[in-house]
Amino acid sequence: MRPAESCAFSSARSRPCTCLTDADEAASSADMTSNEPKAKKSGGAEAAEDGDWSWPLVAALFVSTSLVFGLMRSLGVFFVEFVQYFETSAQAISWISSTGLAAQQFFSPLGAALCNAYDTRLVVMTGGFLAGLGFILASQATCLFHLYLTMGLISGFGWGLVFTPMVATVVANITRRRTLALGLGFSSIGIVSFIFNPLFQFLVETYAWRGALLILGGLSLNIVACGALIRPKRRSKAPEKVDSEKKSSCASMLRRLSSYLELSLLMERPYLTYTLAVTLLNVGYFVPYFHLVAHSRQVGFSEYQSAFVMSAAGASDILGRVASGWFSDLGHFRLLHLLTLWTALAGVFIMLLPVSSLSGSYTALMAISLLYGFCSGSLTSLVFAVVPMIVGVERVMGALGLLQLIESGAGLLGTPLSGFLKDVTGTYTASFLVTGGFVVLGTLTMSTLPHFFSRTDPPAPRRRSHDKKDKSLHLELEQINSSPPDTKEVNDL
Amino acid sequence: MKLLWAVSALLLSCCRANASTAPNIITEPSEVSNQTSATLSCNLTESSLPIKGSFWTHNGKVVDNSNSAASTPFTSLNLEKITHHSAGIYECVFMTDPKVKQTIEVKTLPHVTTHKHSEHGNENSEAVMVCESHGYPLPTDWTWFKEVDDMQTPIINGTSDKYEIKSTPNKTTLTINDLSINSDIGDYVCSGTNELGTASDKIHLRVRSRLAALWPFLGIVAEVIILVAIIFIYEKRRKPDEVNDDDDSGSAPLKSNSNANHKDKNVRQRNSN
Repeated sequence: MRPAESCAFSSARSRPCTCLTDADEAASSADMTSNEPKAKKSGGAEAAEDGDWSWPLVAALFVSTSLVFGLMRSLGVFFVEFVQYFETSAQAISWISSTGLAAQQFFSPLGAALCNAYDTRLVVMTGGFLAGLGFILASQATCLFHLYLTMGLISGFGWGLVFTPMVATVVANITRRRTLALGLGFSSIGIVSFIFNPLFQFLVETYAWRGALLILGGLSLNIVACGALIRPKRRSKAPEKVDSEKKSSCASMLRRLSSYLELSLLMERPYLTYTLAVTLLNVGYFVPYFHLVAHSRQVGFSEYQSAFVMSAAGASDILGRVASGWFSDLGHFRLLHLLTLWTALAGVFIMLLPVSSLSGSYTALMAISLLYGFCSGSLTSLVFAVVPMIVGVERVMGALGLLQLIESGAGLLGTPLSGFLKDVTGTYTASFLVTGGFVVLGTLTMSTLPHFFSRTDPPAPRRRSHDKKDKSLHLELEQINSSPPDTKEVNDL
Repeated sequence: MKLLWAVSALLLSCCRANASTAPNIITEPSEVSNQTSATLSCNLTESSLPIKGSFWTHNGKVVDNSNSAASTPFTSLNLEKITHHSAGIYECVFMTDPKVKQTIEVKTLPHVTTHKHSEHGNENSEAVMVCESHGYPLPTDWTWFKEVDDMQTPIINGTSDKYEIKSTPNKTTLTINDLSINSDIGDYVCSGTNELGTASDKIHLRVRSRLAALWPFLGIVAEVIILVAIIFIYEKRRKPDEVNDDDDSGSAPLKSNSNANHKDKNVRQRNSN
């Protein structure tokens, strides 16, 4: 969030503006070293600097993420019941969660666009309501197709309206502790899966799957409460306001639509590069979670040992998310550099997994799995936090929506590919090596981002304005930003 | 000539004598019934065939450590504790040419178990309860009882659509249709009988009402509504304070004025001139 821009906008409305100085803003600037004494003095107010609102927002992210992804991951208990009740194959049942995940990722840009056009709070609350509604309807399902429709499509659509807007809101509103907030929010997935699995088992036993789904629907409605924590938007985005003069001609509608979806991002090389890198990353970085247990058993370890390796990796994942979030916000390194480091390490460790078990040593396998878990958790916190550096905070909503949509394809590719490699070669060595290779490839792609090797973040690009009225603002912005983000200059004013 | 006939007749009678006496195994005891321990023994008599060794089998499988290379016509197997696992058909086998063997049956009471001691069923749906038996001999009769106040009333198959019993020697299944909360909750006893006696096990049946999940669901919905109401009310209360501060430029509101006092140094005012 560049304070200069917000001041420019408010100046257009002839109001005095209370702005933050660049001292507080530059969380990732190398200049911060000169400002650290100042920043440390206001240590207690740092959290307040992000707004008294920031910690409830993180809590909202925590709860909503756990109710979206944590829920999705723990539906295994229900699948056993479905197979028995509907008398179908396990594969047909697994399509339910695939549909849900695909719907969530596919509708992400739509969610982002709706937030740009209307109020984020309204969109998230609607999404939460739909997610709950999907499960409530699913409890009345009489055939498998109903489940695809309700648990898959409706709930997935609801999740799509929830996840990207929540993440974008956190990214846009929390600047100093951004990565930590994201890390804490995403750690919920791991933590909650420890609770949800036994809880769902208990619910299914006590209430039968129909009753349990009904209760889950109620639980999902809590996302509505999380959405309510988002501050309502009082004024809509400036470009849209300007356009309201023109009547609904096709061209202007399309232009508005593309601005809500931030389609202009697809023309920008940095964003495309980053999306490509994240897509390559998504092909492989979570594949070990699917195959680790099977691989350990194949190498010769017992069921309990393999399950324990898996749990250990999961625990270090949670730790990695929070730790990397905290560390990244200290500002010693650029977020992009840290992300590159974690992804490179994750790729290397994935490739080392089959090697470590070659020697037959349980300690080696455990060590590499722990390291892999830590790295994959660490990179998760950073992936979304880097986006505002590349596209600017205003466009974060649309950027995240498009990112989710594009990276969804990779997820669909990764697991079947690794399964195919395993079927062809007989062991998991090839799948781990190939998926690790994809992750490393993603890292290399990331290194081609402009200004990658500079020590500070480049100024984030602004939205290209189409309208004449914006041009005056544009000039002002240019004037302000032509001078480097030097705090000394600003303070002298 | 006469001497030759006499010798050949003697030889022939000897051979025939050898061929006519079949080997006989005397088993001690001939059958084991309802004992806690026993020693099985076999004595091979009336056989001049060479004995290369002996071993025991239990239900067709060779018993561990029962292989003996001794060429004695006597072998024994000690069963220290007879449970339903060790019951069955034992055979002592002498490795002669051809092999000879004899059978000893070890019988115990039936061992009746069920995998799930607590079963759940849905109202108006069906519940299935399963009992299994291991041991020897397997039960010939299975009966199901409903236990009410320590009184067991037998469930008779086929009298109504409500109860269905399917039994095989080692498994029995009771299916109750159209469960009702009032009459079907309780303990059910499956009982298996063989020639030595009877054994049984108990299963507790719980019937979930259709609307059982509705109450927790309504509770959670109420909690969500209350939370949302609290958040909205809290915001309305704070709204007057925030009208002046919030400088909206998209989705990133800035600090509120209340904190401005702490950071006077760092705050700059910019007017639209």
